[in-house]
Amino acid sequence: MSKQTFGWRRSSAIVVAGLAALSLVACSGGGGGSSADAGSASEGSITWWGWTPDKPLADKLIASFNEEYPDIEVEFVSKPIDTYDSVLGPAITSSDGPDVFNVAPGSANGGVNTFQAGAIDLAPAVEEALGSGWKDKLAASGVDGLSVDGKVVGLSAGAVYSGSVWINKDIFDKNGLTPPTTYDEWVQVCQTLEAAGQGCFVQGAGQWAFDMDTFEAIMQNIEPGAYAKASRGEMDYTDPAFEKGMDIWKSMFDDGIMQEGAIGLQQYPDANNAFMSQKYAMVMMGSWYTQYTVRDSMVAAMEAAGVANPEPFTMIPIQFPDVAGTGNTGEMFGDADYGLAVSAKSDQQAAATTFATWLTTSEAGQGAVADTLNDIPSLNGVQPEWDGIDLVNPDAQLDALKEYTDIAGSATEPRFASVSADLNTAFRDALIGVATGDQTAKQALEALQAVVDKQK
Amino acid sequence: MSTATVEPRAGTPAPGVPNRAPSPRRPRKKIFLGAGMIWILPALVLVIGMIYFAIGYTGYVSTLDWNGFILSPSESVGADNFTQMFQDDVFWLAIWHTVVFFVVTFAVQTTIGFTFAALMHSKLKLAPVYKVIIFVPTVLAPATMAPVFRSIFDVDGQFNWVLRHVGLGDLAHPWLADSATAMPVVMAITIWQWTGLTFILFYAAMAQIEPEVLEAARIDGASNLRTLVSIIWPMCKGTTIALATLGIIGALKTFDVPYLVTKAGPNHATEFLGTYIYQTMVAEKHFGYAAAISIALLVLAIGGGVLMNLRRRSDES
Repeated sequence: MSKQTFGWRRSSAIVVAGLAALSLVACSGGGGGSSADAGSASEGSITWWGWTPDKPLADKLIASFNEEYPDIEVEFVSKPIDTYDSVLGPAITSSDGPDVFNVAPGSANGGVNTFQAGAIDLAPAVEEALGSGWKDKLAASGVDGLSVDGKVVGLSAGAVYSGSVWINKDIFDKNGLTPPTTYDEWVQVCQTLEAAGQGCFVQGAGQWAFDMDTFEAIMQNIEPGAYAKASRGEMDYTDPAFEKGMDIWKSMFDDGIMQEGAIGLQQYPDANNAFMSQKYAMVMMGSWYTQYTVRDSMVAAMEAAGVANPEPFTMIPIQFPDVAGTGNTGEMFGDADYGLAVSAKSDQQAAATTFATWLTTSEAGQGAVADTLNDIPSLNGVQPEWDGIDLVNPDAQLDALKEYTDIAGSATEPRFASVSADLNTAFRDALIGVATGDQTAKQALEALQAVVDKQK
Repeated sequence: MSTATVEPRAGTPAPGVPNRAPSPRRPRKKIFLGAGMIWILPALVLVIGMIYFAIGYTGYVSTLDWNGFILSPSESVGADNFTQMFQDDVFWLAIWHTVVFFVVTFAVQTTIGFTFAALMHSKLKLAPVYKVIIFVPTVLAPATMAPVFRSIFDVDGQFNWVLRHVGLGDLAHPWLADSATAMPVVMAITIWQWTGLTFILFYAAMAQIEPEVLEAARIDGASNLRTLVSIIWPMCKGTTIALATLGIIGALKTFDVPYLVTKAGPNHATEFLGTYIYQTMVAEKHFGYAAAISIALLVLAIGGGVLMNLRRRSDES
């Protein structure tokens, strides 16, 4: 063999070896076993990744935590929700990734079903914190939604609930209107506001998660619990109750409750900005909107919506109107907003578990969560310190907010937790298809049922 | 074949032929390959490792039922993802949109770009300013412009405002909310953005045409239009084919404008292969199925490229 031939073969061998190494690197990373050394439970430096809460709120929570655990340094890294799964997946396969990361129920980004393999079971930790009856002390939505096959993947920091409508009370007062309680009243209110040159109800119907909220609110009015039952396969979408729900959904577009061009808008930022800039008087948002009843938060939200020199307005939640005339109102539904999971690859598991359990199960941690007004606390009985919260118009808002928080906290129906990713997509096609008239209610419901049948 | 051209294989001398060293030409080739390999090795490893490995890995993933998280288990499903893809109405809708999108955007961009390039060669006043104005959209990021276009084509947006103020209020429309008008809006944005590139390439191609050719046409009595159609346009054919190739690949890869402006909706009205891959992979966590569509996209892109290349060669010959 000549030297040249040997050199060529050696070069080829190097190329092949390099590719083999690359393949091994790319294919490795399996296992998911926990780190050998969990570290100290009372000191260390940990990183927390999440799409929520906003960084200033997260820093407030961490500051509260450090009052009790000054030797555990926590750094919150905010990740956009749209790309959360893409960045989290590779990150939690090594000890260089986050020690604590947000997870969500169901098919949402950060879903527990996807990432449970990268998290430790927090059942022993929560049992140690709250005792053997820990499940009774926490909101059911947070426990069930964040567990997979008996493994507690995440502990819910708090929950968000939907099924209500937020109104700009100042606009209603200015036009001599009271909040609508029935479908006909809703149509009438919108006609009055439109005649006055004021937008009525705004929905970014192109962002179908919020369409699902509205549709579930309609279904809760028609037959409470039917929406979740159907998503679990315990009831057919072809049931007449759903046909009635789809008809009401469609009529909201035809009767002028939904603004023209709603399908072309996203809830965030379009509808949110339109409401915050007072172009519209009503919007379908959930309990997370409570934070904007606080003066500073509202000013910031209005500025973000493009309002110059914003003057905060009086915003209150109302029950979803009795659109079907059944009398079933005040039926809210929700899930854990986010849960804290501890990475199986973390070399600071003990400190990470301390932080996760403190924020989600201690009265101090849950009190801090409650005061952000972003989430309804997971630990039963914890309420925001309303006296210390600077509402825009306490006389008009305080009682409404207290009642709203109570109703939301007692809700048991899920929002997205029972909806699979495929069903979620099917809802997009069904709700937008019916709204635009491209599908009949019957076709849309049959398509939904086909997805559920396939999953059985 | 003469015996003089027969080379014995190394180590197996032909009967009656003395075992001699290889001819001087062949070792030189080996020396060249061996020495050159060292220099191109880093690039070769990078290209094969980063691109061809990724393609191969995508092909492998397309045979799996997997949620994409590396610690999650996967299940081999053979060609099921491809079978599902061929039966998927949305996949075929995305292909159809790609075809329509390519035909319309390519035709309009070529017409406008070619016309502008011809005009700019006609000693127009303030031509440099016009060139900049035409080309600027090409360098603007779609992510920057998407909110602007969402605002312009909103039901209360500037486009409808203009229509109402010029007496065409009846035409005001929720452009992005209607399945019939969302795709034309996406195409209009794309044409606005990429006509500058078409213009520049035609402008450069026209600059290569010998003035004597145009002069001869004029001596023969050709009008401006006749010169444009019969002389300049044929001489820019190579550029047109290159633009068509880029257009096909660009249409297949279309993602940013429909995703940012219409979210591929309403009712899949602006669904493309890119947006559908993103939806199935990121939102639905069907990595295997998304990989199968990606392979289809790759095959279509290579097929389109080869087709245009064959066309170019046939024209050249």
